[in-house]
Amino acid sequence: MSLEQFKNRNVGEQPYVLIESEHRPKSGMGRFQRVVNRTFKKELFTGLYVTMREMINTLFRGEMAAVKYPFEKLPISPRYRAIHDMLRLLESGHYRCIGCGLCEKICISNCIKMDTRYDENQRKEVTEYTINFGRCIFCGYCAEVCPELAIVHGGRYENASEQRASFSLFEDMLTPIDALKQQQEFDGFGAVTPNADNAIKKTPLAY
Amino acid sequence: MSNEITIKIDGIEYKTQEGEYILNAARANDIFIPAICYLTRCSPTLACRICLVEADGKRVYACNAKAKAGMEVVTSTEEILEERRAIMEVYDVNHPLQCGVCDQSGECELQNYTLELAVDSQSYMIPDTKRETTNWSSVLHYDPGLCIVCERCTTVCKDMIGDAAIKTGPRGGTALDKGMKDAMPKDAYSMWNKLQKSVIVPSNGTGETKCSDCGECVAVCPVGALVSRDFVYTTNAWDLKRIPATCAHCSSGCQIYYETKPTSIEDPSEKIYRVTNEWNYVSLCGAGRFAYDFENRVASKDSDAFDKAVEALTKADSIRFNSVISNEEALMLQTMKEKFGKKLVNADAYAFQHFLRAYGRPAGKLLYGSDFKKIMKTDFVISVGSALRNDNPNARYAFNNIQKMNKGAGLYFHPIGDKVIADLGKSVETFAHKPGLEEAALYLILDLFAKREELPEEIVTYLDSFHSKGTKTIKEKVMENVTSTVVDKETGESKEVTKKVPKMVEKEIEVDINSLVTLLGGAENFSEIFEKMMKKKSSFSLIVGEDLYFHPNAENLAGLVSMIEKTCSMEVVLVPPKTNSLGVALICDLDENTEGYTVGYNENGDFKLSALGDGDLDMPAMNQQEGTLTNMNKRVTPTNAALEYNGYELNDLMQGLKVGRHLTVDWTEILADKKGFQAIAFDDLPNGYSNSGEEQRGYALKNIGKRASHALPKKFDENMKLEGEIAYRCNPQRQFNDFTDKAHQIFESFSLYASPARAEVLGEKVEVDFGTEKILFDVATDERMEGDIVKIPDFKSAKDIYALFGGDRFKNVTIRKV
Amino acid sequence: MEIVNLAVLPEVTSAGVAIKAIIILAIISAVAGFGTFIERKVLAFMQRRLGPMHVGPYGLLQIAADGIKLFTKEDIVPQNANKLIFKIAPSITAATAFIALAAVPVFPDFTIPEWIPLLGGVFVPSIAADVNVGILFILGMMAAGLYGPLLAGMAQANKWGIIGSARTAVQFLSYEVVTGLSMLAPIMLVGSLSLVDFNNYQDGGFTSWMIWQQPVAFVLFLIAGFAETNRTPFDLLEHEAEIISGFATEYSGMRWGMFFIGEYANMITISVILAVVFMGGYNDLGFMAGWFIVVFKIAFFFFLMLWVRASWPHIRPDQLMWLSWKILMPVAVVNIVITGIVMMI
Repeated sequence: MSLEQFKNRNVGEQPYVLIESEHRPKSGMGRFQRVVNRTFKKELFTGLYVTMREMINTLFRGEMAAVKYPFEKLPISPRYRAIHDMLRLLESGHYRCIGCGLCEKICISNCIKMDTRYDENQRKEVTEYTINFGRCIFCGYCAEVCPELAIVHGGRYENASEQRASFSLFEDMLTPIDALKQQQEFDGFGAVTPNADNAIKKTPLAY
Repeated sequence: MSNEITIKIDGIEYKTQEGEYILNAARANDIFIPAICYLTRCSPTLACRICLVEADGKRVYACNAKAKAGMEVVTSTEEILEERRAIMEVYDVNHPLQCGVCDQSGECELQNYTLELAVDSQSYMIPDTKRETTNWSSVLHYDPGLCIVCERCTTVCKDMIGDAAIKTGPRGGTALDKGMKDAMPKDAYSMWNKLQKSVIVPSNGTGETKCSDCGECVAVCPVGALVSRDFVYTTNAWDLKRIPATCAHCSSGCQIYYETKPTSIEDPSEKIYRVTNEWNYVSLCGAGRFAYDFENRVASKDSDAFDKAVEALTKADSIRFNSVISNEEALMLQTMKEKFGKKLVNADAYAFQHFLRAYGRPAGKLLYGSDFKKIMKTDFVISVGSALRNDNPNARYAFNNIQKMNKGAGLYFHPIGDKVIADLGKSVETFAHKPGLEEAALYLILDLFAKREELPEEIVTYLDSFHSKGTKTIKEKVMENVTSTVVDKETGESKEVTKKVPKMVEKEIEVDINSLVTLLGGAENFSEIFEKMMKKKSSFSLIVGEDLYFHPNAENLAGLVSMIEKTCSMEVVLVPPKTNSLGVALICDLDENTEGYTVGYNENGDFKLSALGDGDLDMPAMNQQEGTLTNMNKRVTPTNAALEYNGYELNDLMQGLKVGRHLTVDWTEILADKKGFQAIAFDDLPNGYSNSGEEQRGYALKNIGKRASHALPKKFDENMKLEGEIAYRCNPQRQFNDFTDKAHQIFESFSLYASPARAEVLGEKVEVDFGTEKILFDVATDERMEGDIVKIPDFKSAKDIYALFGGDRFKNVTIRKV
Repeated sequence: MEIVNLAVLPEVTSAGVAIKAIIILAIISAVAGFGTFIERKVLAFMQRRLGPMHVGPYGLLQIAADGIKLFTKEDIVPQNANKLIFKIAPSITAATAFIALAAVPVFPDFTIPEWIPLLGGVFVPSIAADVNVGILFILGMMAAGLYGPLLAGMAQANKWGIIGSARTAVQFLSYEVVTGLSMLAPIMLVGSLSLVDFNNYQDGGFTSWMIWQQPVAFVLFLIAGFAETNRTPFDLLEHEAEIISGFATEYSGMRWGMFFIGEYANMITISVILAVVFMGGYNDLGFMAGWFIVVFKIAFFFFLMLWVRASWPHIRPDQLMWLSWKILMPVAVVNIVITGIVMMI
């Protein structure tokens, strides 16, 4: 429909079509017949059959859908975006974060803050890093933008807190140094794509 | 303008000035030509070669080629783009991929141009050279690894600042393969060839610059190579909030941005992280750039102290203050004078006001005629009575810029020798005259520059009385004709050949001896030097400094300045002694001395209002309040509050006295009651620069004309000169007032400053006897000073140095070693 | 038959009746409570859930937890409520439900063994009050139970309550008719109103069950029973999706609990009537003892109510009345007429 036609169309005369619905009985007798039909059409018993079947499946065939949540947990996808983890370098154990501030910049709920300084080794040291989980919407932009794969989403989704806004500090999110071997790479937002090597142009080196 | 021409850029006609660089012409007309190494007010460096354009079919560099009438400029062709892309690729060779931590990331020109020119792959390579990060001074941090050797820092240091403290030095890198010359675009190759050989080093050969620490090199650095030490890795450029303001330290009133961000995660209060400026159009000094954390943090309103302050103001007879206040505050104080008859005492502004009035009477106008923008266009500059390096950095930048950019010359009259000034250019002559002879200096200027026919008879006679005839033996080169006989070998014929041979001849000539030059300690052959200096000079300017205002014969000096301005067709600027001395001088009726109960505003008093946090009632510092400042360019410029202030302001006190207004900035509009000011509301004041570098900040004061009086300047008294031990009231560079002192990046101490030789004699600590009072000082060496006069700083108002010097800036003192 | 039985059986003493009453009260209350647990479990399983799991093994002690909660909860009486009626109304529901059970033979007669002190040898009848209008008494008592929701809804000064009351009136009035008429045909066949007689009428084994003679009456009574007990698909009085909680909106704590107990007691009553009147009562069936089989039958009907709740949607008030007055009642009348004609022949 062109814009002209669209503007000139007479909505009132539009040939609306009533979607085919069940025939409605007009007379009292008709309605009575419908009741009788429905009563003897097994419809009601089909309903009973379905619930009974489910009960039997549930009880005897192990098709229980419910999980006793705090005691049992379902496995979550590696792409799930829960409380952030700060990863360490596997080789040195040093935290990966270089303090570039991109996560702070991209954060749409403005909940990331970091303090950095020039340290004794002439490096940028992240002195503190916080995420205000009262504000975080777990959009995953921080993980996506991170050039070092340092901030990633972890699997900790139980973030209810007694405080109205719960802050998380650098230490809380950082992989404990003794758990370095268990550190998992994140497959979700911002992870290296499987064909990353093909997608980049190599810079020539003189060595 | 008469020399307006029309050029075509990319097929569209634009108007520009004859002799303007193509780049500037394009920029003024909002056309983008990439350029890395060019700085608007400095000479073209031709380091980056990226501003390549085609003018009338030839490839030229836009920063270096001047516009000619009818010129047709094409800003980009396929070849030019290829060249530019190659240049950017070369810049990216071995450039560390540490944008993540780099302080320049986000405002980096290397990043910008790499993206602009769509460099997405690298075709060149060369082994990298190890380059270590160094600290050049207490504020400068240089990472040569990031440096692209665009030489902007060296250019600005030489052409604008005048320190020439840094230069390019050898890098020690692998030499470029000669075969590359044919394999890559020409300009990219030559740029790379130069880049691969050089790196920036301090020019004194040591690891330290020992410069003015102005930080302008940090400002102009397009990459993260030069950063202030305090700022390194503390924040990212995009996190900072820019607050346009006016620097409150000296009377230059430079445009600055305070860049703020919350202090830390724990402390959410805003903190100034750095100060930036529009470096193409304004240059800051060390104080402007680094003395920014002088705020007065006040937790809450102290109503008890406020009540006491209102009470104190009610009973006060006089109010003592200095000129580090805004125009609005000055007007409030003046209102107090008008309504309640308080005496207003301000040492620096009083002298300046006095001088300005004395100048205005014969000149027939309210204000001096020129400003520094005009001065920077002249090619002969004279400075009288100003310790240029210390009093006003912008005056010194102008002095220097004239030497470098306009091939200018300069005369510098000051009792204290200054190595930096002497080295600003080849045609700079310094007169280290005795203090007290400033009148003689002005008479000399009259003698040298005035059109005799315009001078009154008496003055001409007086000037002539200094001239005498003398003789002098000079050696002259004379061309002599020598005739010799030469025998032609082939023909055997002898021939007489005449050759011209140079010969040195001693000759006695009659010279004009100017006893003024001798009196002022000028060079013996000054008249010759002056003749050379005057070659190809067409415009002249005079910078008048604080020494003249604090001079026993200030009135006579003012008259002379006015006469010079009239008869020598000179651009004249009076440098106000403190931040807003000009504004205060125009707004307030000042009194000389305090009387009775005194309330001090940032000064000593019976009750002290202080923005330094040491008074009886806290006041906001200049980075915590809105208002306007009047700078030496006769502009009323707005400044904004960068940091929070929770206490009381002067306007609140005015409200306490029932003469206040709703807001401090409500006073801005009624400044128009005072001469020269205009009725423009604060919120309507612009604060910025246009692309052509036009200053659009606040408004210019009106220079109201009035009937001129015809008093002749008096003759000077040679005996006024001071002999013996002399102290000079002068602040070290980067120190101007209590606020600069409060800032953590300003290290210059409150000490007695002396030249290296003198300092050695004085030892470590001295007692200075002013006659009325004795004060102990540490002795600090100022490497760039010469002579025996010592400098005593006045930036600590609590020490009341002004009172010790009285109406003078030079004073005979007794200095004893302790 | 009646006379013979009475002669054979030991004397019904007041102590026996008292014991029976206590047993009914204790057991039915407990069973009603347990019923809530069963209901939750059954509904959960049918929806592939677990139901209560955490209090006691498999959540069995959930009843106790609920009881404690109901007893200790604050008893809130709304400010503008008619306080007296508001407080009495739940008791009416609970009381009428239990009173109705007085005429219901829940278990066969038995004598307390002699070795039990004090009560040893006391005869406990199957029925606490074998009044000669048994079935009429039960139906009447259950009908009187409608005053509970009706008064509760009207007393609480809440518009949802008022709507709940209106629906109560409409629903009970409609279905009382069907209940009575559907029950009339079996009464005509048995010729007695006593449930014991109904039971004895069917002692001829499986084939003598009333359901085979009166299938229509059985279906009608079953439908009416759902309405009487206020169960899905006829849970109009307190349908959450429409009127918050209807007549029980303002109730909390044990007062609300009494409505609940009343409802479950009624469910048991209806189940018992269905078992006794139509499904052979507590007569032995082959090798299976009567007391055992009757429990099984009652449990089946109870389960059926839960099953239906899990399976079917509820209907609108207008549909409910339409069904009652235009379908069920005529069918019931026709059933009586046919029964009468058959009996005459």
